[in-house]
Amino acid sequence: MSHPSDTVHLPWGQVGSQGLGSQGVHTQPMEMMLHLKQAIEKHMRQLATRHQQQDLVPEEKRPYQAPGEQEALLGNLMYQLVNLLQSGATDGLGLQPSGPSLDVKGDAGGGQWQWAQSSRQPAQPGYQLNDPEVTFVSQHLSRRGIDISASYRASFRDYKMYQGDKYHEDENTLGFINLGLSENKLCLDLMTERLSQSDMNVIEDVLLQYPDWSGQPFLREEVARFLTCYCKVPAQLDPENVVVLNGCSSVFSTLAMVLCDPGEAFLTPTPFYGGFVFSSGLYSKIELIPVHLDSESTDANPCPFQLTVDKLERALLESTLAGKKVRGLILINPQNPLGDVYSRDLLEECLGFAKRYNLHVIIDEIYMLSVFDESVTFHSVLSIESLPDPNRTHVIWGTSKDFGISGFRFGVLYTHNKEVVSAVSSFGYLHGISGIAQYKLCRLLQDQEWIDTVYLPTYRSRLQKAHRYITKKLKALGIPFLNRGSGLYIWINLQVYLDPCTFEEELLLHHRFLDNKLMLSRGKTYTCKEPGWFRIVFADKPLRLKQAMHRFYQVLEEQKQRLRVKQLESTSRE
Amino acid sequence: MFTLPQKESRAPATCPGPTSIQDLDRNYGDDLERECSRKPDRKLPEYCGASGPTAMLSSDSSCLSSRGRVIKWFWDSAEEGYRTYHMDEYDEDKNPSGIINLGTSENKLCFDLLSRRLSQSDMLRVEPSLLQYPDWRGHLFLREAVARFLSFYCKSPNPLKPDNVVVLNGCASLFSALATVLCEAGEAFLIPAPYYGAITQHVYLYGNVRLVCVYLDSEVTGLDTRPFQLTVEKLELALQRANSEGVKVKGLILINPHNPLGDIYSPGELRDYLEFAKRHELHVMVDEVYMLSVFEKPTAYRSVLSLEGLPDPQRTHVMWATSKDFGMSGLRFGTLYTENRDVATAVASLCRYHGLSGLVQYQMAQLLQDHDWINQVYLPENHARLKAAHAYVAGELRALGIPFLSRGAGFFIWVDLRKFLPEATFKAEMLLWRRFLDNKVLLSCGQTFECKEPGWFRLVFSDKAHRLRLGMQRVRQVLEGKSQVAEEPSSYQTQKPRSQHRMEES
Repeated sequence: MSHPSDTVHLPWGQVGSQGLGSQGVHTQPMEMMLHLKQAIEKHMRQLATRHQQQDLVPEEKRPYQAPGEQEALLGNLMYQLVNLLQSGATDGLGLQPSGPSLDVKGDAGGGQWQWAQSSRQPAQPGYQLNDPEVTFVSQHLSRRGIDISASYRASFRDYKMYQGDKYHEDENTLGFINLGLSENKLCLDLMTERLSQSDMNVIEDVLLQYPDWSGQPFLREEVARFLTCYCKVPAQLDPENVVVLNGCSSVFSTLAMVLCDPGEAFLTPTPFYGGFVFSSGLYSKIELIPVHLDSESTDANPCPFQLTVDKLERALLESTLAGKKVRGLILINPQNPLGDVYSRDLLEECLGFAKRYNLHVIIDEIYMLSVFDESVTFHSVLSIESLPDPNRTHVIWGTSKDFGISGFRFGVLYTHNKEVVSAVSSFGYLHGISGIAQYKLCRLLQDQEWIDTVYLPTYRSRLQKAHRYITKKLKALGIPFLNRGSGLYIWINLQVYLDPCTFEEELLLHHRFLDNKLMLSRGKTYTCKEPGWFRIVFADKPLRLKQAMHRFYQVLEEQKQRLRVKQLESTSRE
Repeated sequence: MFTLPQKESRAPATCPGPTSIQDLDRNYGDDLERECSRKPDRKLPEYCGASGPTAMLSSDSSCLSSRGRVIKWFWDSAEEGYRTYHMDEYDEDKNPSGIINLGTSENKLCFDLLSRRLSQSDMLRVEPSLLQYPDWRGHLFLREAVARFLSFYCKSPNPLKPDNVVVLNGCASLFSALATVLCEAGEAFLIPAPYYGAITQHVYLYGNVRLVCVYLDSEVTGLDTRPFQLTVEKLELALQRANSEGVKVKGLILINPHNPLGDIYSPGELRDYLEFAKRHELHVMVDEVYMLSVFEKPTAYRSVLSLEGLPDPQRTHVMWATSKDFGMSGLRFGTLYTENRDVATAVASLCRYHGLSGLVQYQMAQLLQDHDWINQVYLPENHARLKAAHAYVAGELRALGIPFLSRGAGFFIWVDLRKFLPEATFKAEMLLWRRFLDNKVLLSCGQTFECKEPGWFRLVFSDKAHRLRLGMQRVRQVLEGKSQVAEEPSSYQTQKPRSQHRMEES
């Protein structure tokens, strides 16, 4: 039973394409096919070059390319594909592997998140229970286990590739440059130095023993003090309202668990950070309802991708009419991927909207210290004098972005709601941080002098410089982008490089970047409804940025050439 | 989700004051757990299908989802038991009359050795790669160190592979992840009881998986050679019963060395259990978190990884952590070893939520690689201290004429206090537990471990001599005082409220 091909089974009865869930999956087989094709090609190429013993890049530097593993990867891809086809999700599509004729216009842009939840249970919420008639014989995993693996593979395939073949100035100049992952690599020197100082290395017995599961009291006190200061809170924050977990994904995941029942939903202004898609699908099985924002400027939409309460109202109404139970609203401020920093007025309007409908608001402020444009002022929700509905306002922050230590695994929840504090703390066991790491974090946050005089000024000036460099390049290439002065990334419009302007073409372009060893993230990952948008991260070393922009330029030049040929062909046909 | 509020409102009626640890366990041990794990499928239609007022029936004043309320309740109940302790912790100088904790299974004997080792210069390295997003399975250097470590200490016939290792922030997370990827919501694992009770919460919170107990007896009957012996027959029976009740069992959890019994399974027994699992296509999760804490005849212990030719390697998943064997429960480091790549990948897919800091990963790799220190300094000293502490407590218990199980592994002794209960009920067990607490010593009672016979307690001995001495003195005081109370059994046969009065008076 351990071979993928042995598990051919059709356990999911509900083949129909009714309901929301099945719409989004149309492009999945396409994507898989593409990946499969690419992987096979690569494999062949490699086998060929191996024979010729070319001296390009030593193979052993790229462990993921070992032929055995590659074959395993191929097998896996095929398995996923078969799985997907069996699921019935693609019924009626005709399954043309060549794909280009597939119509995805109906795909409301929601593909990935719907699929991530579960492509197999179209009409039902993800948290479905076992139907006794459906005995699923898999490679030992439960159905949700398979879903989890598959969505992980789909989301992190590129990341894994990158992990195995990272660019290095000296050792691997042909490796991947990752401008797709939002990671702050600008201040690793400062952080390494600070974390190496002797005050960081304290081992006390309390650090090695079972902790307070909501976080060590000394750390929660420090977090409360830190947030009071940097969020400009009118009154001192209460350490009892702080829960500390191993990362913001964990915080979001636990909030989703305790605020929503399976199948219930959060409204999410879209495009939005793809990690939420992942987090809502894996454990908690909740739904994210996109509130699509438009890139076009109109009277009603003065600014591209402008969030307004009208749009929230409309989305809530539509969802309610469609029978959805909406429990809350997710705001990311500063926004990822747009870089928007919400004005105080907009923030208060959104909170007011949420209060009117008894909605929870989860506000992710993980980029709050990464506002580098001096003309832009960030307003933390915690700075608002009297929150409209403090019991339903929950703030997330972490050190991953602002301090560039994503490997530290530290996330914070601040909420006035004691019930939520307790319920989230129940998960402390499952999302605990090492006492040693908690101590270091406490020291770090405590060192306000270093933060204010050394870290933040340097960090921001480096962000500015990197941002200036990239935007200059983008302008030179005539590429439209949003210039919002915060975050580690720029939201760029590559629609002119897509013909036709579809998600298939977006994916193809994405793969052309990958083929040229450059990782960006494409709009689809952010549930953007318009194909052609990409997010490019600029918080990297100048040398790598330069190399990356060179690759970027090359790909776009080739793409331009390709489009020209295509146009010529089509005109000559006419 | 009517069960929960019902429980809450009933709590004051059955026990005065706040609910205790025991209530937590009693509740989720039987009816609550069953309710919790089955609820969502019954609830879903009404919650998701309707947007009318009926869908809101249980929202009332709470901001939480229905599962959120159950989750919170876990916290409240657990916190309740420890709140008393944390508010009044014993401290030699500052609070000599504070509570001594012989309830939490922590090794407090080797802190000096550990802090010295963790402060050495090789531990203090900070590298940019450690500060960035990791490989979610754990940094390769750490997985390599773990594979080498387990190959050596588990005496695996062949070197273990780093690719089969997944590193997480503790075994709790591992239980959660395995439950989620191996079971659908509402499905179950078999577990011999008594067992380490926190597993119930670990597999329930995210996974919505329940545990089906294989109850073991203290009486030695039939083919048993020792009290609380696990046999294949008992496993078969429990599985049959679960099946007949329509509960789908997907796996078996084995804890070896056992918590709270201290049992060590022989290779023959292990193989029998594994064969049983194979016959029924069950996954086996073997929790070996105490494997290096066998202080009497450590060589007698056999890890499942040492077996030649596992019956069903694709369904055998081994768990280990540094919490117990290295006395670092606050460090949050646990690891999975499985040959099943699908399971490893699926668990790794969840590691985004269960990751541990890169700096700590580095320290763990350094620690696990240092076989010289482990073999020559740490293990001999740790075992010697455990042995001495165990000998002391065992001597005290013998002097008191108290029967207990002593198997020479773990940090605890499984103590038979049945004769101190005026009646064989969990109510009486809880009263005794309260008496201990009132006398400033915290123990864990059998019900926390799903023991089916009231009157068993787990007593942790891995603590410093002076605390241990004081703790045992307080235990003795209670038991000697208690035996007097037991002389008037009539008062306990009256209605429950009366007995509560007694408790409040005491």
